[in-house]
Amino acid sequence: MKFQRDILIDKIYEMALKDKDIYFISADLGAPALDRLRDDLPEQFIHAGISEQNMIDVAAGLALSGKKVYVYAMGPFITLRCLEQLKCSLAQMNLPVTVISVGLGLGYADAGPTHYITEDFACLRAIVNFEVYTPSDLSTVVELAELINKKPALRVLRLDRNAVEDIHTQGMSVDTGFVELKKGKQIGILSCGYVLQRILNNWAEVTNGLDIGLVDVFRNKPLNLDGLKPIFEKYKKIITVEEQCLSGGFGSSILEAISDLGMNNPVKRLGLEDRYYFENGGREYLLNTFGLSNQQLKDTIKSIS
Amino acid sequence: MIVSIKDKVRWLRQELFEMFLQAKQGHPGSVLSQVEITAVLYYGDVVKYQRGKPDDPERDIVIVSKGHSTMGLYPILADLDFFSREEIQKYGTGDGILRIFGNLSIPGIEATTGSLGHGQGVGAGFALAAKRDLSNQKTFVIISEGEMYEGSVWETALFASQQKLDNLILILDRNHKIILGDTEDLVKLSPIDEKWESFGWETHKVDGHSIEELQKVFKEVDNCNGKPKIIIADTVKGKGCSIMEHKPEWHYWQGMTEEQIEQTRKELKEK
Repeated sequence: MKFQRDILIDKIYEMALKDKDIYFISADLGAPALDRLRDDLPEQFIHAGISEQNMIDVAAGLALSGKKVYVYAMGPFITLRCLEQLKCSLAQMNLPVTVISVGLGLGYADAGPTHYITEDFACLRAIVNFEVYTPSDLSTVVELAELINKKPALRVLRLDRNAVEDIHTQGMSVDTGFVELKKGKQIGILSCGYVLQRILNNWAEVTNGLDIGLVDVFRNKPLNLDGLKPIFEKYKKIITVEEQCLSGGFGSSILEAISDLGMNNPVKRLGLEDRYYFENGGREYLLNTFGLSNQQLKDTIKSIS
Repeated sequence: MIVSIKDKVRWLRQELFEMFLQAKQGHPGSVLSQVEITAVLYYGDVVKYQRGKPDDPERDIVIVSKGHSTMGLYPILADLDFFSREEIQKYGTGDGILRIFGNLSIPGIEATTGSLGHGQGVGAGFALAAKRDLSNQKTFVIISEGEMYEGSVWETALFASQQKLDNLILILDRNHKIILGDTEDLVKLSPIDEKWESFGWETHKVDGHSIEELQKVFKEVDNCNGKPKIIIADTVKGKGCSIMEHKPEWHYWQGMTEEQIEQTRKELKEK
């Protein structure tokens, strides 16, 4: 188990050693791996203060000057707090900046809804020119770092706050945008991020011997429609699972994809209830209580079977 | 030089007025209040540029953060051969490249603006890159008075000061008006100079319609004292057109009778 942010920052560090135009800006979020970058490459690190709006605007100016910029902060504040800057300063000028958003869903439990990010998926994918990624493990993060270096573009990486396991086999490629982790028949579960790991960890209990598929759709925008078409052909019934409120979220994007492909798979969307979570008890407690328990997934499978 | 800049100022106002007449939209109040500022920047030996080369790597950066007045640069940029002068006649039409609000697709426009409070931060990014690249490039950002209501401006004020961006020069076009009236009546901004000074900025106050004062202050801010600069230029919204001057409604084009058009043309020719 390792932290996605440490894995990513270690890769950025390696690249930044060779490329003086790589800049890393933090709005006061740290990471063990970041300490080394700050110490060894002070000319390529910028502390923006807790000022996400200015951080994004500054990133735009740096990018317009030819710099390869990474901006880094807690998820709620580097997304919805500065949505206007993401739109006006990055997206409208389509600048090659990488936004690193830390803390998927209820990852900052028990901080409460100011720190949860249960609406960002809908907001981010609505912004033109942004590529949206939710890597579910460590290998995907490593591959994404290589992709960013090779093909600069405007991207947001939605990383988990906590340490996660590596679930993909060596040699996975990010080009397809998704990986079929479990091959099954009839019913396919599509997910990404921490909740995908959670399903995998509870696979035997959740599937209860049924032949079900599991697809990690880590590139959320643009979705690979051509690549996903055979998935929708193979799995006649689809279940989506996301650590988001459902409006405009991951499940919505899959529904849109199926519709755009002219297909008509029935889809059940599993996510968080459409409300804010002031309750405490930890992330697992909250997920289990408010929409994402194993039992709820089992019931959904049963209802669609 | 001053005589020549005066000629440029007169020409600019005439040119811009004809563009408004043609497009029948836009923001004349704010465009006309900044004319002396832009004329001195480009014709007063302040901004470095190469005629005909908008992407020259040695150029200085100019950002009009109040995107609604970016069009005030278009006649100048055409005059510098950044694009064909014929484009001026096509301003705001589907056939032309010159938009009502400036954006990155237009040669010589360094940032897409329109929403208030972004140009300063983007400018700080340019200035920071220049500092770290040990380049002499300067970044000039024209901001509006109304922009100071945006919190992001003050985030940039802190940041630029911390980063010692003495190559970042903001010019505040203080025309005292926003859409619904006078800034001091609606939400008081003064003392503006003390606010910026307290954030660690080198602060200057000038008559924004005085070519001499503007030329002098741009020489003064040409220093490496570790402080970002702000020039608070006191101006008149709609300057040069008596029908528009001091009238908040002329933030946006209001339309004119033939009589008013002729009167304004006459005023702009004489000034």
